[in-house]
Amino acid sequence: MSNRIGKKPGEWINREATLKFSYEGKDFTAYEGDTISSALWAAGERVLGRSFKYHRPRGVLSSANHDVNVMMTDGIDTNMRGDVVAVRDGMKLEAVNTVGGVKADRNRFVDSISPLLPVGFYYKAFHTPRRFFPFWEKMIRKAAGLGIVNFNFPRVLKRKTTTHCDLLVIGAGPAGLTAALVGADAGLEVTLVDENQYAGGSLTYDRAGASEAASKLSELIGRVKTHQGISLHTASYAAGYYTDHLIPIVGENGITKVRAKAVIVATGVFEQPPVFRYNDLPGVMLGSSAQRLIHRYAVKPFHTGIVVTANHHGYRVALDLLQAGVKVSALIDMRELGEVSVLEEDVVRKGVVVHKGCCVYEALPSKGQMGVAGAVICTYDEATNQANPSNSFTLECDGIAMSAGWAPAAALLYQAGTQMRYDDTTQQFVPAKLPQGVFTAGKVNGAFALEQRLQDGERAGNEVLRYLGKSAPEVNVERHAGSSPSHPYPIVPHPKAKNFVDFDEDIQVKDFVNAAKEGFDNIELMKRFTTVGMGPSQGKHSNMNAIRILGKIRGLPVEKIGTTTARPFFHPTPIGHLAGRGFHPHRLTPMHGWHEEAGAEFTEVGAWLRAAYYHKPDISKQEVIQEEALSVRQSVGIIDGGSLGKFEVHCAEAAEYLERFYAGKFASQAVGETRYALMLDESGVVVDDGVVARLAQDVFYITVSTSNAAAVYREMQRWLQIWKLQIGLINVTGAYGLINVAGPNARAVVGKLAKHSLADSDLPKGGIRETEIAGIAVRLVRVGFVSNLAYEIHVPAGSAVHVWNALMDAGANFGIRPFGTDAQRLLRLEMGNHLVGHDTDGLTNPYEIGAEWAISMDKPFFVGQRSLKIIAKRPVKKRLVHFMLEEGFSGEMPFECNLVMIQDEIKGRVTSISFTRSANRVIGFAYVDPKDVDPGSKFQIRTDSGAIVVATVVKAPFVKLERGA
Amino acid sequence: MPLRLLKFAFSKNHPAPRFFRALEQPKKSYDVVIIGGGGHGLAAAYYLAKDHGITNVAVLERGYIGGGNTGRNTTIVRSNYLTPEGVNFYDASVKIYEGLSEELDLNLFYSNRGHFTLAHTESAMRTMRWRAEVNKHVGVESRVVGPDEIAKACPQLDLSCSGHAPILGALYHAPGSIARHDGVAWGYARGADRQGAEIFQNTEVTGIDVQSGKVAGVHTSRGYIATKKVLSAVAGFTPRVTKMVDLDTPIVIHPLQACVTEPMKPWLNSILVSGSLHVYVSQSSRGELVMGSSLDPYEVHSTRSSLDFVEGLTSHMLDMFPFLSNVKIVRQWAGMADMTPDFAPIMGKTPVEGFYLDAGWGTWGFKATPISGKTMAETIANDRAPEMIHSFRLSRFEDYELTGEKGAASVGH
Amino acid sequence: MKLLHCPMNGTRPISEFVFGGEFRDMPDPEASTDKEWAAYVHNRNGAPGLKKEWWYHGPSGTWFIAERNTLTEEVLRTYLFGQETAA
Ligand SMILES: Cc1cc2nc3c(=O)[nH]c(=O)nc-3n(C[C@H](O)[C@H](O)[C@H](O)COP(=O)(O)OP(=O)(O)OC[C@H]3O[C@@H](n4cnc5c(N)ncnc54)[C@H](O)[C@@H]3O)c2cc1C
Repeated sequence: MSNRIGKKPGEWINREATLKFSYEGKDFTAYEGDTISSALWAAGERVLGRSFKYHRPRGVLSSANHDVNVMMTDGIDTNMRGDVVAVRDGMKLEAVNTVGGVKADRNRFVDSISPLLPVGFYYKAFHTPRRFFPFWEKMIRKAAGLGIVNFNFPRVLKRKTTTHCDLLVIGAGPAGLTAALVGADAGLEVTLVDENQYAGGSLTYDRAGASEAASKLSELIGRVKTHQGISLHTASYAAGYYTDHLIPIVGENGITKVRAKAVIVATGVFEQPPVFRYNDLPGVMLGSSAQRLIHRYAVKPFHTGIVVTANHHGYRVALDLLQAGVKVSALIDMRELGEVSVLEEDVVRKGVVVHKGCCVYEALPSKGQMGVAGAVICTYDEATNQANPSNSFTLECDGIAMSAGWAPAAALLYQAGTQMRYDDTTQQFVPAKLPQGVFTAGKVNGAFALEQRLQDGERAGNEVLRYLGKSAPEVNVERHAGSSPSHPYPIVPHPKAKNFVDFDEDIQVKDFVNAAKEGFDNIELMKRFTTVGMGPSQGKHSNMNAIRILGKIRGLPVEKIGTTTARPFFHPTPIGHLAGRGFHPHRLTPMHGWHEEAGAEFTEVGAWLRAAYYHKPDISKQEVIQEEALSVRQSVGIIDGGSLGKFEVHCAEAAEYLERFYAGKFASQAVGETRYALMLDESGVVVDDGVVARLAQDVFYITVSTSNAAAVYREMQRWLQIWKLQIGLINVTGAYGLINVAGPNARAVVGKLAKHSLADSDLPKGGIRETEIAGIAVRLVRVGFVSNLAYEIHVPAGSAVHVWNALMDAGANFGIRPFGTDAQRLLRLEMGNHLVGHDTDGLTNPYEIGAEWAISMDKPFFVGQRSLKIIAKRPVKKRLVHFMLEEGFSGEMPFECNLVMIQDEIKGRVTSISFTRSANRVIGFAYVDPKDVDPGSKFQIRTDSGAIVVATVVKAPFVKLERGA
Repeated sequence: MPLRLLKFAFSKNHPAPRFFRALEQPKKSYDVVIIGGGGHGLAAAYYLAKDHGITNVAVLERGYIGGGNTGRNTTIVRSNYLTPEGVNFYDASVKIYEGLSEELDLNLFYSNRGHFTLAHTESAMRTMRWRAEVNKHVGVESRVVGPDEIAKACPQLDLSCSGHAPILGALYHAPGSIARHDGVAWGYARGADRQGAEIFQNTEVTGIDVQSGKVAGVHTSRGYIATKKVLSAVAGFTPRVTKMVDLDTPIVIHPLQACVTEPMKPWLNSILVSGSLHVYVSQSSRGELVMGSSLDPYEVHSTRSSLDFVEGLTSHMLDMFPFLSNVKIVRQWAGMADMTPDFAPIMGKTPVEGFYLDAGWGTWGFKATPISGKTMAETIANDRAPEMIHSFRLSRFEDYELTGEKGAASVGH
Repeated sequence: MKLLHCPMNGTRPISEFVFGGEFRDMPDPEASTDKEWAAYVHNRNGAPGLKKEWWYHGPSGTWFIAERNTLTEEVLRTYLFGQETAA
């Protein structure tokens, strides 16, 4: 660990615990707490990755989660960011996106042909002649992309939690810490989050070779950690700002969704690189990155370095470097006047030569561009933003620290709807108008001096208190004084370019100039054409310079250029975190366990799981379905219909209500009688059907299809509110189980258990009685949907299993057999009953399915009636018919949704089709031309292969109606 | 390396002309004013010039060109729709797309990937067959395939979807492709500009001057422009513009969201759509997974993002690809989808003479950019809509003759 | 929006609600022409602004009206249908 220095106060590594890992086949050691980058840098490794486009060697840039060129794979995971991912013992790391290793990367040739790849090059070539494009595309796709995904990576289930608090403070730097304390001292419940491993923000690294920051840090942290009112979460970032102040906090173990009464955004700033030729070499890094290496990981960034700066911060960096034992051979200040403060005196006193009004014209690469060998310095004219290389001189060094300015970490503020303005004294976008409940403090708010930031935190904390209705003082914060923390144009032109603005995407200054030349001269178009800010770091180190460059090109001030939209996420967020555990809830009927034991295969119907059929050993699904259906035709079957929607309508105006809601008539319905009910929407489209039973003069009981039940009930409730009728509407879907016993022996089976006679005269077809089955009070309906003789038993859910078992016992002698929804579909088809949703689609009207009988146009009003009057004037384009294929049909079996054709014109389609053993025929429903609807008419179905099958229109039912015993 | 890039290596001045002129002040009048500099408006300008020689045309864009839904869309191009009219129309668009890079001399990265609409239920399988049959009928290559064929095209897909929604089959549509959305807007803009049409960015239409039922001009942020013909091609802004001429339509605006991951090496070739899981995904030429979901459930005229969207989407993505747990989402965004009740567009003439409408593109309009430009240009030039877009006329609602594309677009695009 | 105030149940997350579309007054079916009726059935006032909308709170089964700005997502007030003045 050649570059490791002595213990730093508050350092983040644990020197007691040494870890071993390898990188590109070479063994290394690290301390616990080291990031991959800090450990490798400590060991003297310089090339930590390759750039995306030109495959240039890259090293440490920010140490702040946007070192996008340093992405690793450990063979399991990929795109692991070296600057933030901690070393684990035994890791075997490699850089992503290289061919033949990071040092020998065979794709480095791309760098040498970069002149062939001007901005937007991929729009300009590869498309002519057309037939060659797939070849180029393959090459380009292969070259693009970073890591290789591991298809065996485990599915990780992370927890999601929700927290409510009075105040959420994002960013635990001096401003955030202070604000949290102000809030908590006044009794607020405060949540404080910070993306770093430890709280403290810039106090953890920006120390100017002095101890002031460290002692301020321990004072603040000491208070925060012991404060009852503050819950501090480190290594957790606020990923986005969503409507109504919803903020997901992403940590290692999951996401906490925080909803706070007030939010203080104290997220600080991102340091921005000055732009000069070869500013991307390993060893050239942001000043704050050098400081992070020193103070957090006790790593010396380089041995002999220079600092290039355009603000006060570069001097602080120089002092930190000096303290870490780095020889600082020069401080290059791009500003004409330099830094007029004690800092300068300090730096000079420590022997550093300061060159004012100078810039790094270019960094000099060491062999293979694997590091820095020196820097060419020359004067820089701030007025014209031109360097003058005629007076240049060269300095040797193995590292360059860059401090030219900042960009606010304002993404969350933008997402919250903050209006920002460009502030000339700080050369930074700062909040101008904040949304309700959103506050800001610290550098992101343009407060830079430490004193000022502490004050600003106090101000924001107190503002929150007042916002929440507490009395609190108004705190005045001194405005920024002195030189600007950011340089308005820290960009050095160079005829040979390779002066990088965006390290993710290898975008150079000339790319912007050329993009503008081609007409992409507003910030959004420029972003899209150059791809600046589109890489994984989302422009954290590049957007601000891009805006400055465009302003310069267009001769416009920065505020006229504007910014691009900041969208979530603040940092790229893992899919597993966002997905969470993923719930797949289902509703189960009371008999679910019974079905399971009986070997049911379940199918999802709406929110429910229903038995589709019951497995039998050695018999195919198709066979089972035929058998289940046959047992209904020949003796008796039983099906669990508990998932059907069940509603009650009570009180005097119940009939009036149903008359309006459904297309049929219900006022005249007798007590003890059921009626078919067709539901339309306002445009006259068939949306559902069901059965309405009249239990008493003022009580109706309705069953509707499973998958539509929720929507139907919703509509019922809505119309009820509009019509303001005096009824009570109750959803009893879950309260009742529903058992359907069907087949010629149904009466015999149910009769055994029924309290009352089931004779036709007592319970005719379509009748309903309240009676007892197996000692349980039930609603018993004589139905005919799947079989001519069938009983629906609506039984309180708690007793459903009891009744089911009793029926199974009672039916044993008759060979009663459960059947599932598949057999049910076949049975209803045999009976000639269509299924809404299966034999209809989103535009079907009643005339197309021959449901004229179910609509009463003579009523004063029902939903859909007025539209039907319009539709009735228009020709019907297709009609649903029952059909059969010829006896013994052995051709290619048509499928549902095969088309019905007349010559070359589509006339309709098959909606249901099945072979039935009961009739020994293929039967079905189809839409046909309206002239082909008479029984005996023939029509043509085109099969998958294109073969034509002739079908004959018939009258339903397809089976002989069995007479019950 | 292609030779056409060589000139860049040998020139200091980046020898590429502007894509379009930098125009500031519109003229006092134009033959045609197009509102909206998205793909559709720009394509209409291009074909007005190319097919009909009409070049005295202004395209007015309130922001920057392609900055609406065009620049936000997930670029799936396909023609496997449900109605014969729809299939026919989108197929014509696909055919133009296939040669569009050459025609516009701009690489749109039109990348033919093949498109699978996954079916997890029997009823979805039925719809797939319906679409396949109609597609075949119109001559479009679509067929129903089984799980084995899906597995062959995408071996990484968990066919059981983590046990939650086993895949029974799919509609496979070989022509399914993706393209560069920006390129389409820029290419048409350049083509229109070179033929004489004038494009004005940062120019908002604030009112439409209608005199006795006829269009007379438009009010804009850069002053009044006289014109007898106005095309509205403003997608998510349609209700605002139709209000200017007091025209009622069924269009409502719902946000439609999307997101992308970090780039990774190519592994997903096909475009996959799952109606049951409400997700679709493709891998861009940059290596990002581009993903989307169904429409936001309620009307909002803004492009804000929501956490619900990305939570739901990722959860379903993991059902399909459990190994993506640690792949990171970089960015999410939204557009404003102009939705119609039948999921078909509204195109053609309107009761206001000289006001032409190209709208109702909802979640599916990028693929239609070329053909809608072409057919709207024809409609404007002849003051009569071509037969091809008859089913998309505004009056179909009054006629109760909706064009049922809903079944094909449960998750649109 | 993410949060919505149900007049019966208070403020709840949006995932508990179903959007029921714009509230529209039904014209008299008898008096209106086919054209007017078709317009009522199909057309919407799609322009952004303050709108009266139907919303449904699923767990409790409550329909109510929300006056919502569809541009900003701000909800001005919510009330049960017909109880506008009470709100
Ligand atoms: C997230 C998302 C994913 C999508 N995915 C797909 C997909 O995979 N496949 C597909 O086919 N479709 C997809 N779509 C739909 C597709 O993007 C759109 O239908 C299509 O781009 C519409 O193009 P356009 O030119 O009509 O509209 P836009 O591109 O939106 O252009 C309209 C323009 O009009 C401008 N404008 C508005 N009002 C005014 C005014 N008053 N004055 C001047 N200018 C004005 C706007 O600024 C805008 O630039 C998707 C949409 C979204 C949002």
